Amino acid sequence: MKELFQYVPGQSLLHRLNPVTKLILTIMICAAAFITSSVFFLLGLLAVDLAIGLIAGVARKTLGILRGLMKIAVFLFVLQVLLSRQGTPVFWIITDRGLLTAATVVLRLVVVCMPLALVLAVTRVSDLSNALVQVLHVPYKYAFTLTTAIRFIPQFLEEMSDIMEAQTARGIAFDQARGLKKLGMMLPLCAPLLISSVRRTDQTAAAAEIRGFSLRTSASAFRRYPFHLEDALVLGFCVLLIAASILL
Amino acid sequence: MIQLDQVSFAYPSQGPTVRDLSFHIRKGEFVALLGANGAGKTTTVRLIDGLIRPTSGRVLIGGADTAGSSVSQRARRVGFLFQNPDRQICKNTVREEILFGLNAVRAEEGPEKLAARTDRVLADFGFTGDEEPFSLSRGQRQRVALASILAAEPEVLILDEPTTGLDYQECCHIMDRIRRMNREQQVTVIMVCHDMEVVLDYVDRALVMAGGRLLADGPVRQIFRDAALMERASILPPQMIDLSLRLDLPGADSPETMADAILAAKGGKPA
Ligand SMILES: Nc1ncnc2c1ncn2[C@@H]1O[C@H](COP(=O)(O)OP(=O)(O)OP(=O)(O)O)[C@@H](O)[C@H]1O
Ligand SMILES: [Mg+2]
Repeated sequence: MKELFQYVPGQSLLHRLNPVTKLILTIMICAAAFITSSVFFLLGLLAVDLAIGLIAGVARKTLGILRGLMKIAVFLFVLQVLLSRQGTPVFWIITDRGLLTAATVVLRLVVVCMPLALVLAVTRVSDLSNALVQVLHVPYKYAFTLTTAIRFIPQFLEEMSDIMEAQTARGIAFDQARGLKKLGMMLPLCAPLLISSVRRTDQTAAAAEIRGFSLRTSASAFRRYPFHLEDALVLGFCVLLIAASILL
Repeated sequence: MIQLDQVSFAYPSQGPTVRDLSFHIRKGEFVALLGANGAGKTTTVRLIDGLIRPTSGRVLIGGADTAGSSVSQRARRVGFLFQNPDRQICKNTVREEILFGLNAVRAEEGPEKLAARTDRVLADFGFTGDEEPFSLSRGQRQRVALASILAAEPEVLILDEPTTGLDYQECCHIMDRIRRMNREQQVTVIMVCHDMEVVLDYVDRALVMAGGRLLADGPVRQIFRDAALMERASILPPQMIDLSLRLDLPGADSPETMADAILAAKGGKPA
C-alpha cells in the first residue's frame, strides 16, 4: 500500500518532462474527465492513463493503483445504481439511466485518481516543489506544505501498521478481525496516530526554521527546470484533450 | 520455553535479515540479545512473538509452533514492549491505558479484579492513574507502556530496549521490577539492550548477533571477556570487565587498588 505513492527512478519520457508539464497534464486529464459526459471518452481517458503508466515504465504499479481504485469503484457503482431512480427499469430497481450515471461517475473517479498517483511515481517530490516555486512562482511556503503532505502519506500508513502491530501484541485481535469490524477497532487508534503526527509536524517546523526556511525564495534552488520540445508536445496534447472533451 | 529452529527471515525487497538462527531459552531464564544497530535484534524478537513469520524454520513457544495460533491469542502469555512506546499507548489516562490492555487479555476476570490489578500496578510504578500519557516525557511514557504489559502478568516478557531514555534511577527501578518478576514468578525474559552495564548487572545469559547471525551464546561475563567476539559484534564491554581484563595482563600492578575500590563500590562482584 505504502509503495503506491513512492518515486520510481527512471529515464523515461515521463521522467524527463518538466514537473510543471506533468502537473498540467494531470490537471488537464482531470478537467477533461469532468467536462465530458460520454462514457466512451472517459474510457479513452482511462486508456491515456494506462498508456502514461506504460511509457513511464511503471506498468506494475499502474495496475496496482487500478486494482486499489477498483475496490472503491465497485462499491461506489453499486451504491449509485441502487440509489438512482431515473430512466426505465432494466432489472428489479436497476434502471438504464442509473447504470449509465454510475458508470460515468466511477470512471471519472478512476480517470482522475490515476494520473495523480502516477505523477508522484515519476517525479521526485522535491523536484515538484522546486519547479512550482521557480516556474510558477508559487511561494515556497505553500510548495513546501504540499510536498510535506505528500511525503507524509507513506509514513502515515507505515505508522498505522506499526501501531496495529503493537496493539495486536497486546491482545487486541486485529489479526482476527476483517472488514468493518477491523475498521471499528482502528478508530480508537487514531488518537496516537494524530498525536505522533502533530508532534512530527512540530519537529519538522522547528528543523525547517533552524535551517533558514523563511529565507528561501524562488532564486534559492540549485537545480533549474527548463522547458524542452517534449514539454511543448505534451502541452499541445493537453489542448487537444480539452478541445475533444468539449466537442465530443 | 522458547525455541528457534534454523529460523531465517528476509524483508521483502531485501536480502536476508536473519539467517539460520537456532537457540533454546528455558523457563525462567533472563536473556539479553546483544548486537550493533541493524544486527537484526528487533527482527528476531518480532519473529519470536510471531509478528512476522519466518521465511524458513520454526519458532516454538511452550512447545507449540507460533504458526498455530494468532499473536493476539498469545498476548496473554507473551508480553511485548516495543522500542517506541507511542505505538502502544492509545488512551487518555494512564489508568485507562492499563485497563485497556488488561481487558484485551484478562477480560474473564471481571471488572473488579481488573480494577484491583490496575491499582496495584499504578502504585507499584508510582502513577496516580490520572496522568495523560501524551503529556508525559518519553521516559515516563516508556514506563506507562511497561506498566500496562506487566499488569497482565505474562509468562514470557519480550523487551525491545526497555531502558533507553530512562535516567539511572528509573532504569534501576524498572530493571529491579523485571528481575523480581523473573525470580519470583519464573517469568522468562528476553531483552534487547544497548546498555552493557545493565546487561552485566541483571542478565544471566547473552545471545550476541551480528549481520543477522548468532555469533555467540553463553553466560554474560564469559561473553564480555571474549575480546575478539566483542570486537566482531562491535560491542563495547562494560568498563568494569574491561578494567579487570587489563588487570590480568602481566605487569599491570598499579591500577589494582583503584580496581579494588570500584569492585567494592559495586558490591564486591567477582571480576
Ligand atoms: N520493516 C522493515 N522493512 C524492511 N527492512 C527492515 C525493516 N525493519 C528492519 N529492516 C532491516 O533489517 C535490518 C535489521 O533491523 P533490526 O531492526 O532487526 O535491527 P536492530 O538490531 O533491532 O537494530 P537497532 O539496534 O537499531 O534497533 C536492518 O538492516 C534494517 O534495515
Ligand atoms: Mg531494534
